[in-house]
Amino acid sequence: MNTIIWVHEDCLHPTGPAYMAYPESPSIFVFDDAGPVMSLKRYVFIYECLLELPVVIRKGDAVQEILGFARRHSADRIVTIATPSPRLKRIQQKLAQSIQLEVLAYDPFLEFTGTVRLERFSQFWRTVEPYAMLEEPRSEGDQEVAIPGSNTNDAAAGS
Amino acid sequence: MSQDLRRDFQDRQDLIDYVAEIFPQTANFEPFVADTRGGRRAAEQLFENIDPKKYGATRNNISGAVTYLSPYIRHGVVTLREVRDLALRRADQRKDAAKFIMELAWREYWQRLYETLGGGVWDDIEEYKTGFPPDSYDEELPVNIKRGTTGLACIDAFSRELRRTGYLHNHARMWLASYVVHWRKVQWQAGAEWFLEHLLDGDPASNNLSWQWVASTFSNKPYFFNRENLERHTEGLYCRQCLHYGSCPFEGRYEDLSQKLFQIQ
Ligand SMILES: Cc1cc2nc3c(=O)[nH]c(=O)nc-3n(C[C@H](O)[C@H](O)[C@H](O)COP(=O)(O)OP(=O)(O)OC[C@H]3O[C@@H](n4cnc5c(N)ncnc54)[C@H](O)[C@@H]3O)c2cc1C
Repeated sequence: MNTIIWVHEDCLHPTGPAYMAYPESPSIFVFDDAGPVMSLKRYVFIYECLLELPVVIRKGDAVQEILGFARRHSADRIVTIATPSPRLKRIQQKLAQSIQLEVLAYDPFLEFTGTVRLERFSQFWRTVEPYAMLEEPRSEGDQEVAIPGSNTNDAAAGS
Repeated sequence: MSQDLRRDFQDRQDLIDYVAEIFPQTANFEPFVADTRGGRRAAEQLFENIDPKKYGATRNNISGAVTYLSPYIRHGVVTLREVRDLALRRADQRKDAAKFIMELAWREYWQRLYETLGGGVWDDIEEYKTGFPPDSYDEELPVNIKRGTTGLACIDAFSRELRRTGYLHNHARMWLASYVVHWRKVQWQAGAEWFLEHLLDGDPASNNLSWQWVASTFSNKPYFFNRENLERHTEGLYCRQCLHYGSCPFEGRYEDLSQKLFQIQ
């Protein structure tokens, strides 16, 4: 199978999972015309990150550019990295309508696959703290939890 | 058909000129470029900054031992796991790294929420706990905040730093956001959009959800501060040179400020 890598702005890691899994595959990054409005310094920063990757840089309609790149390389599969961004997910969905798309997980922070409540950070932290700290998971209820901003109005902790 | 963009540049200025040319919309902003360089090499140089114990003791001070890694983490040039592992290796005892790792976990938390909320990060998650209805907040960010001409030394300096460097210390982000929403009564969305235009680490999850945390649409109460708090954590840097020292809008005890700013019984 011929594979190309679509690199997006949530994973500009030179040894990211796509580059590790497909070291020989050509890769493309697209500055999407439908992307957010940003000041010059943000583009420069991203551009400098790209210059350290073996990537072809384009500008235009992301879906068309990526599919065009795949065609030029006679690729029948596109590999990319998972992202929470709704805009990037829409691009993934459109690509998947035309070609096989493989979405690899980004190096996970937590070796934790259970469900966790997200209503407030304190709940989240209570569950994941031992995984984040690389400790043996403890049983519920014996941990002190810092709740951001609950101590004083200067809300020094957290956010 | 469009072409591949350039990869060879004589120097940084050549790159900057080229980027300005291919993104003409950047002309709507000031032509500032950060000293911070993009790329893994630059990120690795910052690894030296990771001092988890000192971080725990000084993080809330403007001159504290923070890492400046956020633009790299935001763009996946560096992973949270890499940074966490380094911090644990540098800590004599695991607990010395706890504060730092908890902050990394904030990012993870916001990312997970983003996964479930998607574009909903732009909507109020809960009601404001300020006593005011959402439509009492202005939609537009005042020009004197954008330009840094409010006359308040701290606020103007934060505005300038944001636009010039694309970075603000976490506490400065909190003060500035609180000023925008609670003192100027502007919707958090207007401030969030402004931050995203400029922050090198600009990320709809960490940014918007932190703004909502300050605004109280994603927390149990609004975040606000007083002059004494700002002065202490900045070692008087701004207050010393401020014409409004002693009579600025941040002057006073928390109870009194709360009465002034909110309609909470
Ligand atoms: C109004 C407001 C807007 C913000 N917007 C953004 C944003 O767009 N992008 C962004 O990455 N962070 C944002 N933050 C969070 C925080 O201010 C920055 O992550 C931090 O200041 C970056 O500096 P640093 O790399 O020196 O952080 P350090 O203190 O050295 O922390 C190390 C890393 O942990 C993470 N981190 C630390 N604190 C937080 C936090 N409170 N929330 C989430 N992650 C954290 C970051 O990835 C950071 O690089 C915002 C905070 C506020 C109050």
